[in-house]
Amino acid sequence: MVFLSLSCWIRNRGPDRYWKVQEVLKHARHFRGRKNRCYSLAVLAVRRAFVYATKARRFKKRNMRTLWITRIAAASREHGMKYPALMHNLTKTSVQLNRRVICDLAITEPRSFLSLAKLARARQQEGLRAALGDGKEPPGVLSRVVVLQ
Amino acid sequence: MSSFSRSAQQWATFARSWFLIDARMQPPGRIATMCAVRLQGKHKPIYHALSDIGDHVVVINTRHIAFSGNKWEQKVYSSHSGFPGGFKQVTAAQLHQKDPKAIVKLAVYGMLPRNLLRRTMMQRLHIFPDDELPDDIRANLTEELPQPREIPRKLSEYTQEEIDAFPRLWTPPEDFRMK
Repeated sequence: MVFLSLSCWIRNRGPDRYWKVQEVLKHARHFRGRKNRCYSLAVLAVRRAFVYATKARRFKKRNMRTLWITRIAAASREHGMKYPALMHNLTKTSVQLNRRVICDLAITEPRSFLSLAKLARARQQEGLRAALGDGKEPPGVLSRVVVLQ
Repeated sequence: MSSFSRSAQQWATFARSWFLIDARMQPPGRIATMCAVRLQGKHKPIYHALSDIGDHVVVINTRHIAFSGNKWEQKVYSSHSGFPGGFKQVTAAQLHQKDPKAIVKLAVYGMLPRNLLRRTMMQRLHIFPDDELPDDIRANLTEELPQPREIPRKLSEYTQEEIDAFPRLWTPPEDFRMK
């Protein structure tokens, strides 16, 4: 049986330099080449890796948002709408769902997403309908829940 | 929500569909965008770049694609073999005469992301210069995509009555010489 925590218990024994090296190598064990065992190479690689990790914490938020947008765009194309039109008209109808939630709806609840798309479509055609039609709401869609007096 | 619990996630939609696109009299770039979206799987709400959820796309009639403007003469396809003097340039017309599949293939290849999955996605693109398909591919087809461009009618396809009834902006004089 490999007992990994034993070396931690006997930490106070042995030279300080050994433990200082182990603290760095601990983060470099999965690296490729001599970086995972030679301290002088590992310390550089670990420092660089930590810099990348710090930057990636910001990039992750951006990348997730682009992924949500790609997915919403794919789902809205299925219903014959473009992504910018969908989001713009949902904002106009005071639908305060963020992109993560809309993306979740598109994947797990396609019918909820379809109703959102219908709502956006109705809002998009509202101006045209006001000009051409009799000004009534389309059947089955409530784009004005509270009519402002 | 599914972001927090994985129980509601329905990811089992990894079956590959086969799309058919008829490229007769269509601009190659617009054919290629339709192909590239479906090869990457960007038409599905479960898209992820590493999921490999792209579909197959079959393009037929690539011999009859239509470039607009003077691209047949002025669009240049360049390649370099790596050897000295190995730089080659051919126009679109020359390339199309040599290989009627090449223009659509290069257009799609250029629209796919430059990563290790690009060759895999290209393998799911099946291009045929004419409208004859092998039986194994024909059996797989699931859906035909609408053409992005409406094919304009030729003058020879109009009947004489339609030509006579067509509204004229001006009547040419008797001595007018048609170019």
